[in-house]
Amino acid sequence: MVQIAMATGFILILMGLYGALTNQNILRIIVSFSIANTGVNIVLVSIGYMHGRTAPILNEAVPLAQATARIIDPVPQALVLTAIVIGLGITTLMLAFAYKLYERKGTLDISKFSELKW
Amino acid sequence: MQFEWIQIPYALLTLFIIINFGLLMNAFVAKIGARVGRRVGIPIYQNYIDLIKNYGLRSSITHGVMFYLAPVFRLTGGVGLIMFVPTIYGSVMFSNFSFAGDLILALYFIFFGTLGMALGAGESGHPHAAIGVSRGLSQVTMAELPLALAVFSIALQYNTLSVTEIVAAQQGGVLNWTLFTNPLAVAAAMLSFLGSVMRPPFDVVLAPQEIPIGPPTEYHSSYLALMQTNRVIYPVAKMVIFMNLFFGGADNWPVFFLKIFLIYMFAVFIGVVFPRFRVEQSIRWFLIWAVPIGILAVLVV
Amino acid sequence: MVNVIFIIVIGLGAAFLLGLLREKWRNTAYALTLGSLLAMAWIAARWLLFFAVDGGATFEIFTAGTAPPFAINLRMGITESVLLLLVILSGLLSAIYMSKSLYRLGGRAMSVLLVFIMALCGIILTRDIFNLFVFFELAVIATAGLLLISENKQALSAGFKYLIISQLVSVFLLIGIIFTYHVSGTLNIDGIAGLSLDMMKGIGSLAFFFMLMAILTEAKPFPANGWALDIYESAHPAFSALFSAAMAGSAAVYAVDKLLLIGGQQWLPVVTAIGLLSFVAANLLALSQTHDRRTLGYSSVGQVGLILAIIGQRDILGDSYLFIAGGILISHAVAKAGLYWISGLINQRHLTDWAVLRGHPLLILAFVSFIAMLSGLPPFPSFYAKWELVMILASENRLWILAFVLIGSLLEASYLFRWFGYIIKRERVQEEESESPLLSLASHKLLVIFSALAISWGLAYLWGELSAHDNLFYALPLLFALSFLLLEWLPAWVKNTLAIAGMVYYFVMSYSLYDPLQIIFAAIFLLGGAVILLASYHVHGRRMGFYPSAMLMFAGLTLLVVAEDSFQFFAAWEFLTIGSYFMILRGKHSEPHALSYIIFSLGGAFLILAGFALAAQGVTLFTLESLAHVAAPIAPWVFLLLAIGFMTKTAAIGLHIWLPGAHAEAETDVSPMVSGILLKAGLFGIMMLLMNMGKQQLYGIELTFIMLWIGALSAFLGNLMAVFQEDAKRLLAYSSIGQMGYALFGLALMNQLGWLMALMFVINHYIYKSMLFLSVGGVAKRTGTREMYKMGGLIAMMPFSFIAVLIGIIAVSGVPPLSGFGGRWVFYNAILSSEYRLPMMLIFISGPIAFLYLFRLIHTIFLGQLKDEHRQIKEAPFWIILPQMIYVAALMVFAVVPGLVLRKVDAYLSPFFAETAAKSGLNWEGLTITSNYGYWSPIPIMVIIAIIFGLLFVWLLFVNRKAQKVKQFNIVYSAERPFRPETTHFAWNFFAPYRKAMGFLIQPFVTRFWETLTDFLHTVADLFRRFYTGNGQTYAIQLLAFVVIVYLFRVEF
Repeated sequence: MVQIAMATGFILILMGLYGALTNQNILRIIVSFSIANTGVNIVLVSIGYMHGRTAPILNEAVPLAQATARIIDPVPQALVLTAIVIGLGITTLMLAFAYKLYERKGTLDISKFSELKW
Repeated sequence: MQFEWIQIPYALLTLFIIINFGLLMNAFVAKIGARVGRRVGIPIYQNYIDLIKNYGLRSSITHGVMFYLAPVFRLTGGVGLIMFVPTIYGSVMFSNFSFAGDLILALYFIFFGTLGMALGAGESGHPHAAIGVSRGLSQVTMAELPLALAVFSIALQYNTLSVTEIVAAQQGGVLNWTLFTNPLAVAAAMLSFLGSVMRPPFDVVLAPQEIPIGPPTEYHSSYLALMQTNRVIYPVAKMVIFMNLFFGGADNWPVFFLKIFLIYMFAVFIGVVFPRFRVEQSIRWFLIWAVPIGILAVLVV
Repeated sequence: MVNVIFIIVIGLGAAFLLGLLREKWRNTAYALTLGSLLAMAWIAARWLLFFAVDGGATFEIFTAGTAPPFAINLRMGITESVLLLLVILSGLLSAIYMSKSLYRLGGRAMSVLLVFIMALCGIILTRDIFNLFVFFELAVIATAGLLLISENKQALSAGFKYLIISQLVSVFLLIGIIFTYHVSGTLNIDGIAGLSLDMMKGIGSLAFFFMLMAILTEAKPFPANGWALDIYESAHPAFSALFSAAMAGSAAVYAVDKLLLIGGQQWLPVVTAIGLLSFVAANLLALSQTHDRRTLGYSSVGQVGLILAIIGQRDILGDSYLFIAGGILISHAVAKAGLYWISGLINQRHLTDWAVLRGHPLLILAFVSFIAMLSGLPPFPSFYAKWELVMILASENRLWILAFVLIGSLLEASYLFRWFGYIIKRERVQEEESESPLLSLASHKLLVIFSALAISWGLAYLWGELSAHDNLFYALPLLFALSFLLLEWLPAWVKNTLAIAGMVYYFVMSYSLYDPLQIIFAAIFLLGGAVILLASYHVHGRRMGFYPSAMLMFAGLTLLVVAEDSFQFFAAWEFLTIGSYFMILRGKHSEPHALSYIIFSLGGAFLILAGFALAAQGVTLFTLESLAHVAAPIAPWVFLLLAIGFMTKTAAIGLHIWLPGAHAEAETDVSPMVSGILLKAGLFGIMMLLMNMGKQQLYGIELTFIMLWIGALSAFLGNLMAVFQEDAKRLLAYSSIGQMGYALFGLALMNQLGWLMALMFVINHYIYKSMLFLSVGGVAKRTGTREMYKMGGLIAMMPFSFIAVLIGIIAVSGVPPLSGFGGRWVFYNAILSSEYRLPMMLIFISGPIAFLYLFRLIHTIFLGQLKDEHRQIKEAPFWIILPQMIYVAALMVFAVVPGLVLRKVDAYLSPFFAETAAKSGLNWEGLTITSNYGYWSPIPIMVIIAIIFGLLFVWLLFVNRKAQKVKQFNIVYSAERPFRPETTHFAWNFFAPYRKAMGFLIQPFVTRFWETLTDFLHTVADLFRRFYTGNGQTYAIQLLAFVVIVYLFRVEF
């Protein structure tokens, strides 16, 4: 199950990156990055777990002294939420930029925005 | 050696002898030249007449301070050169003021007169004078090099820079002369000598047909007289150095006269035979023929 | 002590609050922004004091009250506190700087700025990798927002490119983080680092690699940094300042540093390689930039690269790590931010447009201080840091790294100083010609810039205190020089008097401390300098910038003489280099020449630095005497490096091309200083070197023998080139090359007489070259030209100048009875005791060649035909003549009694040549100076010549007492009368036949070589910068390719 999730995640990442690097259209690039981000998040979830560890509930089953070695930190998986939020933020920002860029030049072709160079 | 007052009259005596000898020798050489050309030539006392005439003339013209000073520089150079070199080996009387400095002093003092002369000629404002100086300086850079190398070579050979000691080392037979102990150095020096006596093929500096007489173009009367005096003294002074360094010096006046005359004849012979070089030609000539000999002389000592 | 967490809390809280404020309450919003930044800065400063002064221990902050791994922890140590303060202060200053823009955009813009600063603080503080990711993303978002403040419309596309890159970065980072967690079970940096290295094999290693590359990308390494350059170019300068100083230069590199705790030693070489590549490549590409902010961007990339390289070298830096990295980092931050802030004052973007700064001395001082900081010049922190770095690299035998650091630094200094040349020398566009003002000075912006200036000097002092060496600020001469910065408002003559008094007083005061050799140099530097300064009285007005530069040079020279260890020596060397550069740059057309001077000088200085480093082998206090104990395999290399370094200063042939222009184009009183005095510094260095290291052999070749040849060639070619100059000052400049060649030759002979000769040249050259430069300068001032053929016949108009030149050329040529002859005489004696014979030949010929140019000098200027336009000309100003007359007197005295000066030195030198002592040295008894070969009696020579000369002169005066001066054209001229002096004055191409014969020897091979090299570098730079196509997608591909390539090459390590 984990492997499938992880594989899916990586496939999504690669697809996203491929899309981002081959499409000239800014919107398509943004979409591609969204896909890649989704992939990353799936990978995060799939791998944030360590085998043989238990849930982070400190009771008799897990004495405090051994806690670090025996429980699984919930943070990494929870952090996916953060990552998603940040991804959302950046995607929004990119879209805003895309809008502004379109306003300025009337095109969404990224190769047209290369006045700054060398 | 220290200075004593008696050295002053002695030095003046040397000067007197050399002036007379120089005047006669120049005339004699001119005469020989004329005879070679099937001409009668000047009388042997002609130079005396010229000199006295020019000393007697008065000028009311000058082109400025340096113009005025140049003959003084010139003659100081010639006289000074004689004063700094011992003329007769072993004679206290005729060793002049050579205690003041050694061979290097003499070699560098040669330029004193040249420099002054060039400055005076420059102030005359005559382009021919400047052209002559330009030529002369250009030529001298390469002409002096073999001599410098030869001097270096014999200084290494005798391990001294003192003229007296170099002469002393050559005593005791002709074969002790530098001419035989260090022939390469002598050859280089003699070739260099050709370049400094203002005779063909290296007389483009004066080049009477092109730039009247080059540097001294504007000089006349007593200015010229001083220069003429120098022209009499200076070659002799220079040949004294050659004689001392390469030909065993002289321990009495007859030998002195003979050696100087023969050294001079070397330049005269060559001058009579060869045509005149342009400056760049003479520079190349010295560079190709004389300098390598000099280098060899330095290396093999 | 306030809890560190409040830095984050205040930043975040104020940002939220700003969002809630009404749009109209701009004042409140702005006050809140500044207030919270101030509060954050205060907290950071308190902590810094706590660590630095009270010696407090590093402090951990556990959020949620739990130790990691169950909660994120922050750490506050001295490094963090410094970086925090740096970040927050630059944020505060930038906020003040862009107040107008912030007002325009309102509270939201301010809140974004606060978030940005807060995020950077978070990056610095956090010890948790996921937290690191969050703060980085915050910084990215804030950056994208802040970019829009810019008035440049292009900033939009730059921002978008940045967002694309940051998407890639976040992908890498997240994958890296999660896999790291997977293998280690924790997200805490110290926790992961504490685990055994086995964990980090295989997948762990790959995970770390991803994280590292992501964080590295934020530090903008070459070549994956096109987007960053675009941002630098288009953003508001105050934001570029932040982006460079705070984000890339502080937060990102510190993140790399933290991350490397996880990766461990094996990753250090990777970071070093990337850093060095960025450093060298960015500085190379910057060569062909013309846009000011983009240039700064390249420089920023380079500097961050250098910091990365230092981080990569931390395995050997030990305790000095923080001192070195901090020195470079802080210097870069302050300087780069300062430069960006200055760029905000200027309304046009070409580098040459910065010429509008001229006329604003404080801004120029700020610019100079900033570029000096970037180039690692003393007394700034980067100087100390680079010194330490180089010392350690050399002692650990990491020579390639050392070489790249120095090459990169040289490249960087090249374009920075070129830029400075533009500012000082380029034409300013007139205000009327353009529609908008070229320079907008707003008081709040100036306040920001000047506080950066103040901080830079404060840091310079601080780093001096921290350094293991002397604080340069405690050197009296330096303080004296710097104090002239404060006296700039005084008129020039007052400053001149102060300068002369100071120099003379210092010499008198320290007279007893010098050994005989030092006395000669100190006298030339201080008293000699004072004499030349007399000439400076002729300048009226305030003469801005002259005195600080001149005094800086003299301070360097003074310190050089008494330097005891390599650090003091090198610092002094740098001071005199910078001071003289500023002075040379003052000449009207000296921009390119000053540039080539500073590049050659800095190149030479770097060689010296490398030489010292190699010799010291890690010893902190490396006295100059210990050069003698450097062991065999490295000793010749040390010798080589130092010798070449010093020879750039003496302009030995091959390294000479800077000299003619620099000396010729300098001002009238500067030429003698940089020629007569400055060149001696190189000789002093060579003397120091030879005295301590003696003869060295490299692959069986005697190095002093090569030096002998170089000296001889310099003497020969320098003189030969002088012959063909039409420009009087250039002629003198080339002649200096020749004269220095003589001196170098004398030293390389390695016998006592050779050294004595070199010292005579040192003294003589100072006197006559100063004198000649002053006379020629005076003439040029009056005639308005330096072309000799345009002059002529000036003897009557300028008799004193003529006398000076006459005496000067007699002395230079070595004709008795003047002092030049002494040098020649000693020379002949010296070569007789040397075993080398061949190189002498070149010296022999260069003597007569000197006559050529000397005669030309005096003839074409003073003799010959006077030109019509010069008939009314006056003698040079009194103050220019006065020192010349002093020199004439000095030459006479030195000619007659050389023993006065040289006797003691001769005795002092004897022990150094002990093995040949029996047959070296001179005998100074009585009037006659004797050597083993000959003798020389200066006084009788003078007397005899004077008497003969006097008698003849008096006689001639007597017989020609009626002579009067005739008119100019009254000459024998083929029975014609010449009409114009122009056609009669034989002057132009005076030695035409000589050129025909010898011209082949002076083909400009060396010039061509250096020109080809610079052309090549520029071509390469111009070619490779096209790599940054400007397309955001290309940049992304470049980043991916970069990651892949680094991964492939990583295997090598």
